[in-house]
Amino acid sequence: MFKNYLKIAFRNIWKNKVFSIVNIMSLAIGLSASFVIGVIVYYDLTFDKFHPDGERIYRVTTEFNSPQGSSYNPGITVPLTQALRDQESTLIEAIAPLFIAYPQHVKNKESALVFKTPKYVVYTDPSFFEVFEYQWLAGNKQKAISEPNQVVLSENRAKKYFPNTSLQQIIGKTIIYNDTILTTVSGLVANFTRRTDLVFEEFISLKTAATGDMTGTIKETNWGNTNSASQLFIKIKENADAKNVSLLLKNLAKEHEDKERAAIGYSSIFHMQPLFQIHLDSNYYTFDFAESKASASVLIGLGCTALFLLLLGCINFINLNTSQATQRAKEIGVRKTLGSSKRQLVIQFLGETFLLTMAAAIISIILSKWLLLVFSDFIPQGVSFSLFGSPIILISIIILLLVVTLLSGLYPAVILSNYKPVKVLKNHSVIGQNKSGLRKYLTVFQFTIAQVFIIATLLVAKQLNYMLKKDMGFKTEAIAHFRTPWQDDSAAKKTALLRQITAMSQVTNATIAGNPPASRSTHSRDISFENGENLTHFNLQLLYGDSDYFNLYGLNLLKGRLPLNDTIQEYVVNKAFLKPLGLENPESVVGKFIKSGEEQYLIVGVMDDFNQRSLKSKIEPLAFTGDPDRTGRSQFNRIHFKLETSAINQWPSIIKQMEEVWQKLYPEYEFEYTFVDDSIRRFYQGERKISTLLNWATGLAIVISCLGLFALVIYNTQRRVKEIGIRKVLGASITDLNILLTKEFLMLVGVAFLIAIPIAWYGLNSWLENFAFKTEASWWVFVVSGFAMMLIALVIISMRTIGAAKVNPVKSLRSE
Amino acid sequence: MLLQLNNIFKWVNSGGQRIFLLKDINLQVEEGEFISIMGPSGSGKSTLLNVIGMLDTFDEGTYDFLHESVHSLKEKHRANLYKEYIGFVFQSYHLLDDLTVKENLEMPLLYKKFKGSERKAIVADMLDRFNIVGKKDLFPTQLSGGQQQLVGVARALIANPKLILADEPTGNLNSQQSEEIMELFKKLNEEDGVTIIQVTHSEQNAAYGSRIINLLDGRKVEI
Ligand SMILES: Nc1ncnc2c1ncn2[C@@H]1O[C@H](COP(=O)(O)OP(=O)(O)OP(=O)(O)O)[C@@H](O)[C@H]1O
Ligand SMILES: [Mg+2]
Repeated sequence: MFKNYLKIAFRNIWKNKVFSIVNIMSLAIGLSASFVIGVIVYYDLTFDKFHPDGERIYRVTTEFNSPQGSSYNPGITVPLTQALRDQESTLIEAIAPLFIAYPQHVKNKESALVFKTPKYVVYTDPSFFEVFEYQWLAGNKQKAISEPNQVVLSENRAKKYFPNTSLQQIIGKTIIYNDTILTTVSGLVANFTRRTDLVFEEFISLKTAATGDMTGTIKETNWGNTNSASQLFIKIKENADAKNVSLLLKNLAKEHEDKERAAIGYSSIFHMQPLFQIHLDSNYYTFDFAESKASASVLIGLGCTALFLLLLGCINFINLNTSQATQRAKEIGVRKTLGSSKRQLVIQFLGETFLLTMAAAIISIILSKWLLLVFSDFIPQGVSFSLFGSPIILISIIILLLVVTLLSGLYPAVILSNYKPVKVLKNHSVIGQNKSGLRKYLTVFQFTIAQVFIIATLLVAKQLNYMLKKDMGFKTEAIAHFRTPWQDDSAAKKTALLRQITAMSQVTNATIAGNPPASRSTHSRDISFENGENLTHFNLQLLYGDSDYFNLYGLNLLKGRLPLNDTIQEYVVNKAFLKPLGLENPESVVGKFIKSGEEQYLIVGVMDDFNQRSLKSKIEPLAFTGDPDRTGRSQFNRIHFKLETSAINQWPSIIKQMEEVWQKLYPEYEFEYTFVDDSIRRFYQGERKISTLLNWATGLAIVISCLGLFALVIYNTQRRVKEIGIRKVLGASITDLNILLTKEFLMLVGVAFLIAIPIAWYGLNSWLENFAFKTEASWWVFVVSGFAMMLIALVIISMRTIGAAKVNPVKSLRSE
Repeated sequence: MLLQLNNIFKWVNSGGQRIFLLKDINLQVEEGEFISIMGPSGSGKSTLLNVIGMLDTFDEGTYDFLHESVHSLKEKHRANLYKEYIGFVFQSYHLLDDLTVKENLEMPLLYKKFKGSERKAIVADMLDRFNIVGKKDLFPTQLSGGQQQLVGVARALIANPKLILADEPTGNLNSQQSEEIMELFKKLNEEDGVTIIQVTHSEQNAAYGSRIINLLDGRKVEI
């Protein structure tokens, strides 16, 4: 019996080649998208799942609330650690402070090997190894970093610093950070082999920090300072309730809050971030900045995309199989009269579906490999084809295949097996036609999805284009900048560098200042401004530069003058500064003072607004000012220069010259420059990714839907050959027939369009909410996408109908 | 003279061989004739009828219809000519299953771009004439074979053709039903002057006509 089923199945698949190919291809596309996206989701969801007692480990983070909104910092204020330890707590098992360090170099004392800017170096104490269980290759977790000047290295790092040395021999050896901090290797731990965000490689005992360069940071006692380099992990007790710990943290925050600031709406809250969420929480970054951050919302978006594509594939399946019912009716009738039960028939049809699904799965695995290549830019580094081998993924794939088989095969199977044999055998053309209702709904559903995708693609592209084209309010063309090393603040070197760069022939302009007008980094200060009776508090962004900088970027002074004096800080504020004060006229603030703590600053001018961040953010109150502290930690540490616009092909050689100058002054540091235009483009990397992904999803959705449509049209014209023939004999022209055949399908596409409009409208408007500056969701976007869809559908449909309408009626009618 | 076929040949190529479907057919039909085409199965009766009805092409010879040379006409022109003057009746009726009797009748008028009110009047008239007013809202599957063929004939007549081509119009009917159809043809022919060419296997039906053309292997034969 089974062999018989298989034979029939193969024959059927073969007989309906076009349908089978459409079925297999659309399922394969849906499946491969699901596979790839599934693997990405799996990858991102399986970070740090392996730690013993991982569910009891938390990172403590900080949320700042202010009248302007909330901001987040993965670090905590330093005194919190001690305060927690002082609490006689029955809740917390281990408290592990962690300070991230950025040494300039590290030296193997014995061999004098030097390694520049080692990454993933932290100061911590033995409690860290209470929280996280490492495999110790040498040394032990209690003693290893309990004393000053001790360091524990990961296996990888140890091998790098001490090539050709056995692990045991490394213990007791000395490495020196920044020429000053001598540490003895007191332990070696194996690197985590599973996916983790805990990428630390060198653990220096915290007691070392107290004597070294981190003294200031580590001994900080001010509850008001939070540095992202100062982090805290805790492991709560086995029977402790996380809620209680959370409460404890809340009380501590309350106890130490700044009453004055609290009164004007500023507060901070400590959060307990579960270990496995570190990878997904987009409010905070992980320790590896290079790794692109996963975010739950992106994963959900990806998941939905995969689901939709898969659904589209399944729908083709259902549509094509039910539409074929007529042709299979006879087989069903005969089988039933021969004694086949309904159940057997259902199993037989499901078997066929499974066969097709398997074929699709095999193709989709090949497609997945290719997709992974195409999307390598978007896919986290660690995701590779080999993940398909992991048991969970394999099992999921098998389950997915079964689900797809059931989803797409069950309905047609039940429909087909329900036919009454007598009816079927007597007149098998009657059935299968009144079942077309569901097919219509499904087709509408398909095209709705495709249409929503098209609209989204267009609008996202429009927004992206808008953001890239919009005038930010300052000049960007041919301007670039680079930062002098923060470790080397020598004013003389900076001046020398600037002098040499200014002297270069193709450099039209150069200056030293702070950040460029728009950047990701911020300097800000909470200020108050007295305006008659009212005292207004708000946060003021600061931009450091001189008049050269002002001119270089083409900033526009509206009133007053630029800051004159280096020693007294004078401010030029932007127009947005006036808004929280409820003022309109720039003149009304010139000559007034800004208060910040004990200090007072004079406003000497007002400038035009420009965007300080990407267009996602609003324009905030900002002040332009000179270097507050020329001698100590100067804010003037970035050289900005403008190149001759016409000499664009000589730019690389000029940059090369600059690098040479740099190398002489700062031989230890790398020269990294950025063009302003590039950095602006980089603001929208996320959006560009979304846009590219949408292009693909849209393309695939269209392909699947159109494949389905194409097959349905084939079926429909086949079914209607007789009718077409009759109509032709009665005098219908080819155009008449084409309209007749096309109308029905175009109507479905039209209905889909109508349904898609509100969905897309709602979705995109809420997406656009993310942007302070946004393009309009113009009506033409919808019209164009509707027309595009119609056109595509029309082409697909006509490919078939024109042929069908041309058929000589003598041929189509002769069979009767 | 209504139409004239001169030395018509039609063939198909199969396996390198030329198979003749029609061989050297010469035929003149005057307006008002009632012709029956007879011959064994496969002798080319339907093929000839289709050629006359311009539904099928031929490979050699000339065909004049109302003094227009059909063989040199463009497809579109030919279709118009056909639409204007010819009505077809099929052995298996070929009614559209999704449409009611009334709508089936209306179809040719739609394609000839009659106005709505005109269409209504003509259809009502036709229903009346064929005595099927009571059936006008039924679907073809709800009618008997004879009734369906009646509708088929009515549909062929509705646009006032000069020529009715009927391919075994009574092939699926019992003798009483076929007699009714033949009587109808006769009446149309005699009272309205419609030219009729029918294909039939039955001597009895052929007797209604004024002339019989015999075919054998695609060639006209005299008996
Ligand atoms: N396109 C074609 N290709 C090959 N042979 C064809 C084609 N069309 C018709 N024939 C052949 O031409 C011959 C005549 O066919 P036709 O349908 O005209 O016969 P007929 O006289 O109407 O027969 P019947 O009485 O059975 O209806 C048949 O042998 C048929 O097989
Ligand atoms: Mg025939």
